[in-house]
Amino acid sequence: MGERRLSQRESDLASYGRDMWPRLLIGIRAGELPPDRPHVVVWPESEREVAAIVRVARDLRVPIVPYGGGSGVCGGAVPILGGITVDLKRMNELSSVDRDEMVCDVQAGMNGERFERALNRRGYTLGHFPSSIYCSTVGGWLACRAAGQMSTKYGKIEDRVAGLTVVTGRGDVVHTDGPIRAERGPNWTQLLLGSEGTLGIITSARLRVAPTPELRVLRGFELESVAHGVEAIRRVMQRGLRPAVVRLYDELDTFINHSSILGGKKSARSHGGPADHMFAPVPLPAQGALPHIPPREHAAPAPDGLVGRALGLFGGGDTARRLASRLRREAVSAALSRPRLVNSLATPLAERVSRHGCRLIVGLEGSRIRTGVEASLVFDELERAGATDQGEEPGREWFERRYAVSYKMSPTFRAGLFVDTMEVASTWERLMDLYRAVKHAIAQHAVVMAHFSHAYPEGCSIYFTFVARSEPVRDAQRAYDAIWRDGLAAASRAGGTISHHHGIGMLKGQAMAAEHREAMTLLRGLKATLDPDGILNPGKLGLPASIEPAPPDEVTAP
Amino acid sequence: MSALAAGLAGDLGGALEAIVGPLNVRRPPPALARRFAAEGAAPGGEPAHLVQPGSPSEVAEILLLAGRTGAAVIPVGNGTRAAPAQRNPGALIGRPRVFVDSRRMCHVLHLDETSLVVHVQAGLTALALERIVAPRGLSLGDFPPQVLGSTIGGLLSVRTPGKSSPRHGFIEEAVLGVSAVLADGRTVHTRVAPRRASGPDLARALCGSEGTLGFLTAAVLRLYRRPEARFLAAHALPSFEDALAAVRLALREEAAPAALRVYDAAEARAHLGDEVCPPGRDEQAILVVATAGPTDLAACDRDLVASAAAAMGGTQLDEKLAEVWWRRRTGQERGSTLPVPMIQVTASPKRQPAVYRAVRVACAGLGVGLRAHASRFEADGAVLFFTLMDGAGQALAGEPLEAARAMTEAAASAAGAVLLGSENHDLDPYARDLRRGLDPKGILNPGL
Repeated sequence: MGERRLSQRESDLASYGRDMWPRLLIGIRAGELPPDRPHVVVWPESEREVAAIVRVARDLRVPIVPYGGGSGVCGGAVPILGGITVDLKRMNELSSVDRDEMVCDVQAGMNGERFERALNRRGYTLGHFPSSIYCSTVGGWLACRAAGQMSTKYGKIEDRVAGLTVVTGRGDVVHTDGPIRAERGPNWTQLLLGSEGTLGIITSARLRVAPTPELRVLRGFELESVAHGVEAIRRVMQRGLRPAVVRLYDELDTFINHSSILGGKKSARSHGGPADHMFAPVPLPAQGALPHIPPREHAAPAPDGLVGRALGLFGGGDTARRLASRLRREAVSAALSRPRLVNSLATPLAERVSRHGCRLIVGLEGSRIRTGVEASLVFDELERAGATDQGEEPGREWFERRYAVSYKMSPTFRAGLFVDTMEVASTWERLMDLYRAVKHAIAQHAVVMAHFSHAYPEGCSIYFTFVARSEPVRDAQRAYDAIWRDGLAAASRAGGTISHHHGIGMLKGQAMAAEHREAMTLLRGLKATLDPDGILNPGKLGLPASIEPAPPDEVTAP
Repeated sequence: MSALAAGLAGDLGGALEAIVGPLNVRRPPPALARRFAAEGAAPGGEPAHLVQPGSPSEVAEILLLAGRTGAAVIPVGNGTRAAPAQRNPGALIGRPRVFVDSRRMCHVLHLDETSLVVHVQAGLTALALERIVAPRGLSLGDFPPQVLGSTIGGLLSVRTPGKSSPRHGFIEEAVLGVSAVLADGRTVHTRVAPRRASGPDLARALCGSEGTLGFLTAAVLRLYRRPEARFLAAHALPSFEDALAAVRLALREEAAPAALRVYDAAEARAHLGDEVCPPGRDEQAILVVATAGPTDLAACDRDLVASAAAAMGGTQLDEKLAEVWWRRRTGQERGSTLPVPMIQVTASPKRQPAVYRAVRVACAGLGVGLRAHASRFEADGAVLFFTLMDGAGQALAGEPLEAARAMTEAAASAAGAVLLGSENHDLDPYARDLRRGLDPKGILNPGL
């Protein structure tokens, strides 16, 4: 590796001791250092180097943790036994885009935004837009089966993969399914996707691309209730239609994120009815679906809400803003110490105030002719299901601010709170039961809201967002653990899956037995086969940490 | 006598009868026994039994019995498709064989019409399932009817690229979960969800494993509503390559037809009649297409294919030609009894023209006649079917066929085709290890 691509600096070891798992952030906010850290961080530049690192680690029985952007929210990159953290970000090339085959070859360490922009410049898109796209890598997406905001059309990341190159725990470089599926035996691609670095280190992938869309259509609708909205989406999906985006916000989420009372933007209705023209402007091919992050001086101020507006009466300026911020923080903190009370008051209040029920954002994109035809069919079906067309504006608003959510985490933590999200999924038959069960479980400990997105003909994902106090830190961690324990248990009991697209990591490891029951035998069998010494990311995915922590001098000896 | 006691005492047949009942144990048909005979086995071979368990617990008992008696368990379905080649026939030497026929496990366990999901036992044929769900306006999807004669277990156990449609993808993508009995008698059910991120998709370990990792007993499959409208169309294109380019163009424009087929001139004449490609137009190709879905969208897809065909110099033909193809495809009409194409290869979009051309050149060099069509288009490619003929236009057979097959397959491979049933040599050692871990006694399909 050479000295320049290997580090044991204290700052590096501390940085690579965590990802964006909110449980760790609660402690970090309180001034604690991450409890785990690697013994060494390395930056390989080729799969040959990765294979060599694995072979060395295998000889020494030292753990290896693959690392991408560090944006995971489940602790998947935490080196719980120390060892070698392998940061793949120097393997960051888009090697080729094949226009005839509609596939590209990309290395795992490539940043999501750079990758999408590079494809856009060639006239293609991957169609994968996770809200972490600016800070996650292709390898991270593949390792945890990520989903993007437009997955209803393009599929989750596992649907875009035509083949993988992986370094196994034995140090072999293997290639799974080529561009055509003629091979005998199990589908190894699908067995390695989602393995979170426990079965192999994904070093590159062949991914399916699509032409950049010629047309994008966005609309907002309102529905009487969540149940009505879920039924409307089901009807669209089962009619064989594939919008790119479907996002149904429950009453509280609609109230908080879309109500003008709380500072959200006005709907098109308040401008005098649905927009006259049906289609949004065609995006420039070079622009794709990715907005640039605005420079700081041009960044739109966050909506101030009720408190801010009230303080505005006393004059503007920094003093008023600081006072507003402090008052808001204290009011919110006091309220969140009684989550059950807030939940029981907020939802009926939200229902009454928002009056129109739930907001649904629908978007379609793709080739001009087919997208236009499909959009008309989708909108007709939604209106037949009782949705009220709110015009283009709500859709545009969502589109412009769709990455903002990922950047609200820091201000929330600064405000003495923690926020996290739980993404579960089930078939339509069980979906409302799943929604009620998980919401009830989380509501005992935190204020919770949800939206439904990533729809399929047979079911849908639900994305719960919950907020609670992060001080004092031990109480907050206890509350955090209780939320996840109760929420995931409720999801399993209701017949849902414990993760739709964030993965398992350390966070959900204990729930894996309930998720897979006897089928864990298959996962353990794969682990024993691909990583017989248990060196790859030990202790994740509910698998035991089967090697002893390595003493530091042994790690650095080579 | 208990099943185990009988098994250990050497009466395997009696032991099996104790598990599944005497009416459900019999001698296997000779053809089946021969196909799975041990290499070098004495005439008559080892004892063989065909059993039909009625439940997963009976399958588990059979596997436990096999584990204790050293018998080999070979899953069989409807016997509609050729068994995968035996890679290790020596593993059957000296071992009694138990053919486990899943067809008594043929029930629909749950039909969820809200989610359009069916939980079905593995011994039901896909065709029978279609007949059960059709009155409710549901279907498994646009998959080629020829493959639907297999049992659900058989369909999912063997991974071949023909089980696909441009609109509904590959059949294993319709699997939301599976149940299987492992070699140690444990039953596993993979989590049913539209999509998951809770580790690898464990159902995919069992799908395609050809019965070597577990015995599939049930699956949860996605269903689709029967389409509101269906349109058929036929186009003549200047060449086979132009027709393939038209397909690629249409799919790039996001057309999602229910089925597509491209015939070369010789194949079109054989399937659709001599008049479809008049004399002198031997380079011409015929593209037939079916689109389905909501009326406006199905019409849009039909028009996108027509535009793509026109862009490649095509002309629209009488729709009746496509109707002939569709009626035969769906079994509503019997066509002439054409032989099954001898060579089937898959190729990615870019490779398809080169593969076709390479096989034609190889056949011309051998003095062998050729007919071809391309079908089963999906995201990653399509299957090319070739029929080799003698000077009199009759299908080749016997030694001449084998000689020509070797040459043409080599030419196709060199041009980038992948022969069906290819193996991933990188991962074979891992597949063997996974199998050894899950089935240390080598009970399940040991010849594979």
